[in-house]
Amino acid sequence: MDNKNISIIHPRPSSIVAALYTLRDLNVDVAILHGPPGCSFKHARLLEEDGIHVVTTALDESGFVFGGHDALVNILHKVNDMFHPKLIGVVGTCASMIIGEEMREPVMEANLDVPVIEVEVHAGYRNNTKGVLFALESALDAGIIDREEFSRQQHLLEEATNVELRHGAASKEYLAPSRGDVKYKVAQRIIELLKEGKRGITIMNAKKETGYMFADITLAVNEVAEKLGKADNIINMSNTDVGLGLPRVRHHAECIMKDFEEKGLNVHEIIGGLDEYPVAGATIDKLIEEKYSDYDFAVISGVPHAIPMDHLAGMEIISVTNGPRQVLPLKELGHEHVLVEIDLHPKTLGVNHIVESEFGATLREVAKESL
Amino acid sequence: MNVHKRIAIYGKGGIGKSSTASNVAAACADEGYKVMIIGCDPKSDSSITLLGGKRIPTILDLLRDGVDVKEEDVVFKGYKGVQCVEVGGPEPGIGCAGRGIIVAIQTLKKISRSLNEMDLIIYDVPGDIVCGGFVAPIRKGLVKEAYVLTSGEYMPLYAANNICRGLAKINTPLSGIICNSRSVSREEEIVTKFAAEIGSELMAFIPKEQIVQDCERDGFSVMEKAPDSNVAQVYRKLARTIMERDSSVMPEALDDDRLRELTK
Repeated sequence: MDNKNISIIHPRPSSIVAALYTLRDLNVDVAILHGPPGCSFKHARLLEEDGIHVVTTALDESGFVFGGHDALVNILHKVNDMFHPKLIGVVGTCASMIIGEEMREPVMEANLDVPVIEVEVHAGYRNNTKGVLFALESALDAGIIDREEFSRQQHLLEEATNVELRHGAASKEYLAPSRGDVKYKVAQRIIELLKEGKRGITIMNAKKETGYMFADITLAVNEVAEKLGKADNIINMSNTDVGLGLPRVRHHAECIMKDFEEKGLNVHEIIGGLDEYPVAGATIDKLIEEKYSDYDFAVISGVPHAIPMDHLAGMEIISVTNGPRQVLPLKELGHEHVLVEIDLHPKTLGVNHIVESEFGATLREVAKESL
Repeated sequence: MNVHKRIAIYGKGGIGKSSTASNVAAACADEGYKVMIIGCDPKSDSSITLLGGKRIPTILDLLRDGVDVKEEDVVFKGYKGVQCVEVGGPEPGIGCAGRGIIVAIQTLKKISRSLNEMDLIIYDVPGDIVCGGFVAPIRKGLVKEAYVLTSGEYMPLYAANNICRGLAKINTPLSGIICNSRSVSREEEIVTKFAAEIGSELMAFIPKEQIVQDCERDGFSVMEKAPDSNVAQVYRKLARTIMERDSSVMPEALDDDRLRELTK
């Protein structure tokens, strides 16, 4: 692994938010952010769209000086009365952690009949996956997950960190955000390739709920291929193993597979679970080597930078990401066309069906024109 | 008159900063100066001997209660008109005292008109310079010079030396060293030497006298309760020295070996 010790100066996902998302995947009903009211606002709101309640102890200057013990006890009682949760999460923030807040004691004092997962986390970690790890450790302590799942998740996190260090958001000191290539032109190119009789692979290697939109890319490519009479030219891979991952993640895989089935889409290769995007690369690489090395192009969606270039190198690569800072690293890897699905996250939270993507829609429209 | 002395007194915890600060404040008030003392110690003991043993509400107590703080809520007139302010702070082990000082200083700057009218403002800073919060009075421009209090013992000198290192770092000049005696051997000689070696000088040698304790226990300064005592004369002289002093240096801290050698 290329273990550069660079100081990254562009804003990155935060470990506090990563902890929140992990609590969501563990199916907490309420997540309490212990800190200032503005902390992680955007993600907290998004998670509320996803069906969990996110509240804050709203520490102010007085809270920073005198601590937030009472505020946390009070809010634990309040959310218990208001939402009757079955599982609660408490997440630290930079402010509460810097002043040395202790979260165990208020949880004991509140003495609720509900299990509480406490995550002592701030956003000052080099790897934001720390937030996930801390949440999982607390979940293990609270008996919410078993040791085996914990170890599996821990391994995936290490690999996710490596993926980001190699070719992702942590690979360079500064990465300028970019919207990527023009979708219209790339759509034309795919149609051109299909018309020429070229053979392609769609690879959905998506992270959890983002799969609801990346799956639409797979659908669109197949629809267009069918219209052009080239349905057999396409091989589909997706990381939608329904038997792997935390409860919510498995559920996402089921929903996506159900939609694929309804649309008559055949997934030729299941390359892992929806949380296995950092390790699916090896499986994909092997499959291509053994079965598809003579294919002409690949449409990769989700986390394209997690897939090694070894056996993709001869193909024309179209990759679709939701990270505006991912464009440059992907271009450097040799992906000819890189597209960004902006606003993907807000659209994929709180859903249980495939969501139309901008590129999918563009491809369908352009195909209509060219038929 | 119209001088604008803004000083902070630093030193190891328990070395006698608060009693020195309040006696100097009282002595300056005796001379007719307009004086304010701002206690930054969570125990609020800088002003208590100027107020006949009474505690005043601290800025942070009021902020905690959500009070819209006014100057009259937190600035109290004590002995000979000395204006007394206490910053306050959280209970030990919770919250953040450093942040508390920052918030309190900002509040005080906003609400206090008399800050600008004072001839002397003394910040009684808690303990060592340990974090950003504790240097807030300096960083917010309310302190221009510092005095360091020590005895001739090794640990207080170690702390004093460290403080000097901190002062140089935050670009705040040292106006002098004050020795609050613990009656250890060769004390005056050691502290005089220490002061000289860091580039400063000894301003006063305050003898260890029971009267200081007795007055403190009664809730008064020496200046008020025992103005004719020997130690009162020492405080008076120190007060004059502080008010007249116009030289200061950027201290150069000693290395640990030299410091230990000095106290042998």
